[in-house]
Amino acid sequence: MNSIEINNLSLNFGDVKVLKDLNLSVNKGEFLVLLGASGCGKSTLLNCIAGLLEINDGQIYINNQNVTWFEPSERGIGMVFQSYALYPQMSVKGNLSFSLKNAKLSKDEIEKRVKHASEILQIESLLDRKPAALSGGQRQRVAIGRALVRDVEVFLFDEPLSNLDAKLRTELRVEIKRLHQKLDNTMIYVTHDQIEAMTLADRIAIMRDGLIQQLDTPKIIYSNPVNKYVAGFIGSPGMNFLKGKILQDGKPIFKLEGGWCESPDLSNYKFQETIKVEKEVWLGIRPESVVVGGEAENMPVNFNLEIEVFEPMGADTLVWSQIGGQEFRFMVDVNTSINVGGTLTVGFDPAHASIFDLESEERL
Amino acid sequence: MTNSQNNSSVVDPRGPKPRKIMSRRNIILYGTLLVVAIYYLIPLYVMIVTSLKGMPEIRLGNIFSPPVEVTFEPWIKAWAQACTGLNCDGLSRGFWNSVKITIPSVFVSIAIASINGYALANWRFKGANLFFTILIFGAFIPYQIMIYPLVILLRDLGIYTKLPGLILIHSIFGMPILTLLFRNYFTTIPEELFKAARVDGAKFWGIYFRVMMPMSLPIFVVAIIMQVTGIWNDFLFGVIYTKPDTYPMTVQLNNIVNSVQGVKEYNVNMAATLLTGLVPLTVYFVSGKLFVKGITAGAVKG
Amino acid sequence: MFNKVQLERFFVGSVMLAFVSLVLSIVGIKSQLFQNIQYLLLFISSVIVLLIGIQSKSINFFSNRLQKQILGWLISAICSAAIWAFAQKGIQSIFPAIMGYRKAWNTLEPFALYATVVFIMFALMLIIIGARDTKIDRPGYIERFLVYNLSSKIAAMPMIFTSIGIFIIATLWTIYHSFTNSRMLPKSDFIGLGQYERLWSSDRWYMSIENLAIYGVCSLIFSLFIGFMLAALLDQKTRFENTFRTIFLYPFALSFIVTGLVWQWILNPDYGVEKIIRSLGFDSFVFNPLYNADIVIYGILAAGLWQGTGFIMCLMLAGLRGVDQEIWKATRIDGIPMWKTYIQVVIPMMRPVFVTTLVIIAAGIIKVYDLVVAQTSGGPGISSEVPAKYVYDYMFSAQNLGQGFAASTMMLVSVLIVLIPFAYLEFGRRKYD
Ligand SMILES: Nc1ncnc2c1ncn2[C@@H]1O[C@H](COP(=O)(O)OP(=O)(O)OP(=O)(O)O)[C@@H](O)[C@H]1O
Ligand SMILES: [Mg+2]
Repeated sequence: MNSIEINNLSLNFGDVKVLKDLNLSVNKGEFLVLLGASGCGKSTLLNCIAGLLEINDGQIYINNQNVTWFEPSERGIGMVFQSYALYPQMSVKGNLSFSLKNAKLSKDEIEKRVKHASEILQIESLLDRKPAALSGGQRQRVAIGRALVRDVEVFLFDEPLSNLDAKLRTELRVEIKRLHQKLDNTMIYVTHDQIEAMTLADRIAIMRDGLIQQLDTPKIIYSNPVNKYVAGFIGSPGMNFLKGKILQDGKPIFKLEGGWCESPDLSNYKFQETIKVEKEVWLGIRPESVVVGGEAENMPVNFNLEIEVFEPMGADTLVWSQIGGQEFRFMVDVNTSINVGGTLTVGFDPAHASIFDLESEERL
Repeated sequence: MTNSQNNSSVVDPRGPKPRKIMSRRNIILYGTLLVVAIYYLIPLYVMIVTSLKGMPEIRLGNIFSPPVEVTFEPWIKAWAQACTGLNCDGLSRGFWNSVKITIPSVFVSIAIASINGYALANWRFKGANLFFTILIFGAFIPYQIMIYPLVILLRDLGIYTKLPGLILIHSIFGMPILTLLFRNYFTTIPEELFKAARVDGAKFWGIYFRVMMPMSLPIFVVAIIMQVTGIWNDFLFGVIYTKPDTYPMTVQLNNIVNSVQGVKEYNVNMAATLLTGLVPLTVYFVSGKLFVKGITAGAVKG
Repeated sequence: MFNKVQLERFFVGSVMLAFVSLVLSIVGIKSQLFQNIQYLLLFISSVIVLLIGIQSKSINFFSNRLQKQILGWLISAICSAAIWAFAQKGIQSIFPAIMGYRKAWNTLEPFALYATVVFIMFALMLIIIGARDTKIDRPGYIERFLVYNLSSKIAAMPMIFTSIGIFIIATLWTIYHSFTNSRMLPKSDFIGLGQYERLWSSDRWYMSIENLAIYGVCSLIFSLFIGFMLAALLDQKTRFENTFRTIFLYPFALSFIVTGLVWQWILNPDYGVEKIIRSLGFDSFVFNPLYNADIVIYGILAAGLWQGTGFIMCLMLAGLRGVDQEIWKATRIDGIPMWKTYIQVVIPMMRPVFVTTLVIIAAGIIKVYDLVVAQTSGGPGISSEVPAKYVYDYMFSAQNLGQGFAASTMMLVSVLIVLIPFAYLEFGRRKYD
């Protein structure tokens, strides 16, 4: 059963088309993360679902009810904002009960719900304070509580954690995950933090320029990105892209532009469709899937590389190097001894690589 | 600027650089400011001393000399006995008229303008900006061109020369600048707050009264200050849209001072003038920074 | 023939146009043409209501999702019908209490009748629209007009009424009547440019214009210069800045009447400055600006500057504070003298502040009236007349409305000459928002 279904949604700001014919359906109880670069229309999409923006075309269903023309408060959604958006002149309790008062609930019911929500979020002791007297993490808890008390089907989060410092962010992230497991609501969560997306999501939707590029589980998005944009967007450090050609020599092989002694055999790569003719492509290899030293020898493709620069990052070290004039990065264990100008044997498995058409940038 | 090279060349410079208080720069700076300040204060001083002297003393002395014999007679006369035409009940009637005009006008004009500003900032509808632009243009159009049609309108509504009429007029002509003030203020309130309130089920008026208004008290105070002084000081609308019974204080003051009949009693005139200026001056001195904020916010952001 | 969307558009359009023509005809441009247009437009809109009604399959009020709005419009219709009823003699005699506002009812009567019809039509439209298929992707035109953001539209009514009903229509009304021969009462017999010819051949008008020009140019220059100098002086991390600012600004809190009267007193030759200087031994010293026709306008200027310069100073000070403070550090390191920094860096950076200040001063100058009335009443003779006073005198004392209208139209024209280039410069570039 679909909790949210969006058909052919379009939204313009004046002449600027921000969302173009967008389709999306979210299952009941699912945690969907919208991920994308700044300005791609994530907040806009969320606001459309919430009914805060008047759409130009399309339909929105929540719980199989067409809510396209409904007021935000009638849609059965709760929303949490990046800047918390707490009413500064009301106490925490006032903030939590504002929506319930608007819905004209009885005093007892309000009391009960506020108590319940504040227990879940552990903010009982803060109920009488004003938002100004709260820390960032506490404020965001109250903001979540405001959605919680409304007892709604769908939660919408617009970058709820990006105003917090790194440590608090991790804490609250886990808490949101726990909340989701406990409540089993549908949640749509906007972020541009990949880690948040990967750790929280049942499915991730990658957006670009008002279109959803790929909608899938974090694992598949990581291992099988549908195009070069998604591949480059997900993963940190980003994927290596080597420009070259696929030649058909009985088996498909990759020829790097600019020349390279290796010509990797791609026969165990799962092509969407077999490639008959010569084709210009990008070969994408994640830095994490490159192995070094003894292990590299066992890989279908292995070769030596000169180290140009390296950046120790704690457990791992990121090494910058070049293949045939094209940039190539990979990770090595912190204990590997490396020095600038030295060489390393590295290897990878083309089966775990991604290949994209040079022009359309679609996965092959 | 301050240069202490000469005396410090022998010692090793250390710690804060010595500053000369009587440097040339300071003398010029504070000297100029002082002279200008005196120029600005003279009229107030003259008003006060004149209003405290008796007529014989005024005829003999000069306007700057302090009163030899302080008398409050002129103040009492100005308040209760000064004559305009046939009425000889002083400025008190004008004062109460002004109070009766100012309080409702301030209230009504701010209520209307704040709601307009709120609608413009948060609930924009198609065409809203067109009306707003016309409204702002209206602030610059000379009132003279709209005066007479409004006389007709008020006459048709049966409130010409009555207080409700003048209140309406003040609300109309106060609208452009106040609407601008409130619109600009409301747009600085984070939009997410407004969105949150909508998700929480508050409607147009609910958000205005429960969320926006409590957050905007400072701007309401600024608007009140602007309107109280503006409406109290108004002369043109008072003289056009009221009649002698309902004349506001400024009009009555002008009539008292500039009336041609009788002997001129300058001390009474100055007492009356001071009395009229007292309300805005009090507002000004009490509100201080907020007054400045009000007039600059109303102007600069346009 | 037409699809629904087009029909709806026609409906809204014709109702709006009908209303505009009603307003125009009521405001005085009374012609049969407007009346006929109204009826025609109303007729067209009712035909459209019918057409849309015929196209809808079923109309069931009780399942209508727009019930609340429909009720709202019906209630509005009842209210305006009541206003219309209050204007009827029969009803007035039944309820004597409403007699007191007879004039108001009578004025509102045509509006009320019209509004009743329109509101009922709105309600009908919504009944039809609300009952129709909701599967279409977008609310129709009428629904967006009548339902979306309705509270906001209602709340903005005072603004709409003021901007259109007063600022535009009243202005047009006056301009229109400046071409008539109105004397005690506004008339609509068109006499062409007669009033303007009379205006421009009147000495008093010339004197007014000349005075305004002198007053305007001088007060622009002096208040900008003095205002900026004072602001710059106060911006030197000056001690007692607040005290000085309070002193410079207090006259701005006073009315022009008070200002005018004080300065009338100070400049009084028998008691004021002239007498003091004479008593110091300069027996032939003459300083009586308010009694000398040649320089009286400068006497007024002095008072005007005293009242307004503090305000200009405040604007300038706000502008100076808005200038990036790093600039001062940079110029200090580069060793550029302060006055040079002001002229070459700061003033150019404050261009927008100067422009707004200029417009504010200019808009204030043209309105100058109270000050003259209080200080000189236009005297001696007509030597301190200003246009605003000319307008007032002709409209309310000389019973020559036409002259007043023509003069006020000229005032409007001169403001537009100042304002339009400004609006073009400031708002043309960046979109007004
Ligand atoms: N009120 C508006 N008027 C005009 N354009 C707007 C408006 N709001 C957003 N936009 C534009 O729409 C696009 C999408 O904005 P949106 O806020 O949805 O981005 P986002 O994906 O949420 O970005 P971020 O990650 O920075 O929050 C942007 O290009 C933005 O400039
Ligand atoms: Mg966003």
